[in-house]
Amino acid sequence: VKTDNILRILTAVPICDGHDSAITTVNLELVRHGIEVVYLGYHRSARDIVRAAIQEDVRAIGISSYNGGHVEFFTELVRRLRRQGAAHIGVFGGGGATISPADARRMKRNGVDEIFFAGTPLADMVEFVRAKYGRARRVAASPGLPTTQNPKPGTRCRVVGLTGPGGAGKTTLMDELVLRWLTKNPRSRIGILSHDPSRAGHGALLGDRAAMIYSQHNRVFMRSLATRGQPGGLAPQTGAWRKRFQQAGFDVVFVETVGTGQEAMPFTRHRVDTAVLVLSPDYGARLQLQKIAMLDVADIVVVNKADAPGARTARAELQQRLARNRHEQKLLLTVAKRHRDPGVDELFDLLQRRD
Amino acid sequence: MVIEDHPMSVLAKVNAAVHRHNRFVQQQARRARTEPAFRKKLMRRWQAVRDGIETVTTPTGLKLPRLALPQTEEPVEVARYLFGEGLPGEFPFVNAAYPRMYMGTAEEPTRLFAGLGLAEDTNKRFHYLTQHQKNIRLSTAFDGPTLYGLDSDAEGVFGKVGEGGVAIDTIEDMERLYAGFPLGDEHFSVSMTINGPAPIILAMYIASARRRFGPNIVPKLRGTVQADILKEVQAQNEIIFPLDASLRFLTDMVEWSTAQMPRWYPISISGYHIAEAGATPVQQAAFTLSNGFTYVELFRARGLEVNDFGPRLSFFLDVGLDIEYLALARVCRKLWAIGMRDVFGANQRAQLLKLHTQTSGRTLIAHEFKNNLTRTAVELMLGCINATNSCHSNSADEPFTTPSEEYVRLAAHAQAILLEETGLFQHMINALGSSPGMHIVERAVQEAILAEFAELDRLGGVLAAIEHRYQRSQIQASALRYELQIQDGTRAVIGLNRYRDPSERIPEVTVVRAPRRNKQRQIDRLQQFKRRHARQAARELDKLAAVVERGGNVFAQLIGAVEHCSLGQITARLFELVGRYRPSV
Repeated sequence: VKTDNILRILTAVPICDGHDSAITTVNLELVRHGIEVVYLGYHRSARDIVRAAIQEDVRAIGISSYNGGHVEFFTELVRRLRRQGAAHIGVFGGGGATISPADARRMKRNGVDEIFFAGTPLADMVEFVRAKYGRARRVAASPGLPTTQNPKPGTRCRVVGLTGPGGAGKTTLMDELVLRWLTKNPRSRIGILSHDPSRAGHGALLGDRAAMIYSQHNRVFMRSLATRGQPGGLAPQTGAWRKRFQQAGFDVVFVETVGTGQEAMPFTRHRVDTAVLVLSPDYGARLQLQKIAMLDVADIVVVNKADAPGARTARAELQQRLARNRHEQKLLLTVAKRHRDPGVDELFDLLQRRD
Repeated sequence: MVIEDHPMSVLAKVNAAVHRHNRFVQQQARRARTEPAFRKKLMRRWQAVRDGIETVTTPTGLKLPRLALPQTEEPVEVARYLFGEGLPGEFPFVNAAYPRMYMGTAEEPTRLFAGLGLAEDTNKRFHYLTQHQKNIRLSTAFDGPTLYGLDSDAEGVFGKVGEGGVAIDTIEDMERLYAGFPLGDEHFSVSMTINGPAPIILAMYIASARRRFGPNIVPKLRGTVQADILKEVQAQNEIIFPLDASLRFLTDMVEWSTAQMPRWYPISISGYHIAEAGATPVQQAAFTLSNGFTYVELFRARGLEVNDFGPRLSFFLDVGLDIEYLALARVCRKLWAIGMRDVFGANQRAQLLKLHTQTSGRTLIAHEFKNNLTRTAVELMLGCINATNSCHSNSADEPFTTPSEEYVRLAAHAQAILLEETGLFQHMINALGSSPGMHIVERAVQEAILAEFAELDRLGGVLAAIEHRYQRSQIQASALRYELQIQDGTRAVIGLNRYRDPSERIPEVTVVRAPRRNKQRQIDRLQQFKRRHARQAARELDKLAAVVERGGNVFAQLIGAVEHCSLGQITARLFELVGRYRPSV
């Protein structure tokens, strides 16, 4: 048992609501004040929000609602948290014009901690979050991981590492792989360790969940980790989490690093079964290609956004570059944003087959 | 003059065309100074324009010219005005899209926005609002599930059914929504604020009109569907299919409506939501116009004629309190006209930027909310000075409640006071245009917009910039700066960070809500519809899927599919085929 003194909260916008301008501003302000914010994005159901909050072991859920139906929505959140044994996770929120003081009173009676009205200074909101949820607490060694399912004997947990520069499409690619895993292996359980950088002296915005569609699923357990000052693209708790997934009998774990630079070799200390380097065709001049250290050790190199100009040149250059390495490496072209992309299918087959 | 295709992107071409036009104006000014024959001809024309202006008499007996022109005999200035701004209704339409501006407009510039609860509730409200009106212009708001293409019985949406807009699941709801209105009448038009599922909703509208009036009704239908998918990705987030698929469905709809519905506006290119999400006025204009040019490029790539669909494009902008709004719409009209004429070879009808303006919701606050009446009035005035073709003014109570009848009425009357009661807009066309300050703002705004075009071009154009999250991150940065400026007081908000009344409390109001039993009723009848149509629905969905896979025009198929399928059934099938939109943070 150790003490966790970094405050983590989860924020989201309810289902059928796309008004994310306010929450985006609030997120940045919370991060600036040292808070780690797991952002789930907009148009999210109560079920997805509660699942994510439990998996991420946050102290509270902050909801920005605009399109009405907030009394039902907030109440459903509180009810689901209680039903799933997570009543310790607080719920607060705001809705600018749309939540009346009478609604707010009702919502508080139903278990919501606080509702902010239009015109509340950001500073007041930050102060509330810190005062209400900011006390250091003792945490169990393995919070959150589902313990009901016993590890199936004989299954081996495959660990797939995804790395590459920011903007190459790692998160999208991972989500598409998860979709295929879920459909092809109807009982498999999938772990995701997703990393985002902490801002120097600040918190972190952990935003990968917001861009994920298929990973919001009961058979997927995702944990967003902030680097908390550790260089190399992973976080201090990465190793421990990986072990937990293995012990709990997960079939596959995806480890997605932060966007990395040329020198990064994130999977030397944290071994993975398959290391995938994801690049977009605009990685820069050929000279730059020579310097990317991961190219020497990656098992699979993916050129994502292969529909973009320069993809063919990129493939030719990479082929030349990889030919110099002595071990066998695969080079694939994908368009992860395209539904049912054959390149992603190929990558999925390759990852499944590998042992 | 049409520029031949070369590797330059559309925005780079627009930039070049605007610079060329500005050089052309300078050149005309120089000729006015140096070429006596040119000068003579120019001044003869100027004289003719002035002689042609009728004289009007105000209620106080003052005699005034119908059209306000710069009071100058200086040929250089005359050349700058006639070529650089154009008379109202003349290229490049800086002063106005049409020569008569607010004189003798046949239709009220007001649209009546409504949408709440079930279709029959909204229908009743529409009838109430329009009971004394000759021209009926309905504007429809949809509830969250409809905006996201979900049925009312989808998991987790119960609380949202009928909130903030009307719940539409099936063609039968659509029939109820506009029951009793003469859909094909030339004095009737309808506007539908929906984007992601817009093609399905418009298909329901067409199919329901056919049910009531027969197939000949279709070419007579008048109205607008917002359907601006690019601004959804950049700001409003109500997109449901991946961008490529969304753009394909949109183009299918535009292709069909251009051919079959000559009086329909199949897209409203909107900056309003971009500005409300936090964009600066310049960002609003630059992103909206660049989105517009992107649509034109897409529709032409489909083989559509710019002169066919060009006149069916319209724009929707925000007007706030920043000084840019003194001239923002003027600059937009100019850039659009030049781009359409010089880059796409459009004729005059397709060069016009027809503009609906709405006053800014973001500038309104809950504290001492009656100040919002003043804010909205000033914004309205800025909108009218910029010759917007129609306007919606917000209700002062919007920051804390669903607009009440009292404040909706005050907001509508603010427009009437401005246009009908004050003398500013009813005697003289363009009385307030072309002031020195306006010109200075125009030039600064134009340069800033062109610089933004250049940046978008560097990123590979609008679609590539979207992939880089460029527009989103720019809008978010501006939103944060705006909030911080309010916090540190560099941006004054009266009653909030200045002259605040410490004893003031936000008024307690009762908000209109859709009752629980109505939500349940909607779900019950939706499920009945699904049971009744189960067999045909499966067949229609298969036909639809075949068209999607084959690459045919999906819209034509949708008009048949909505006879038997609900909104959610159609989107669910399309999700399987083309995937879901992946949110961008």
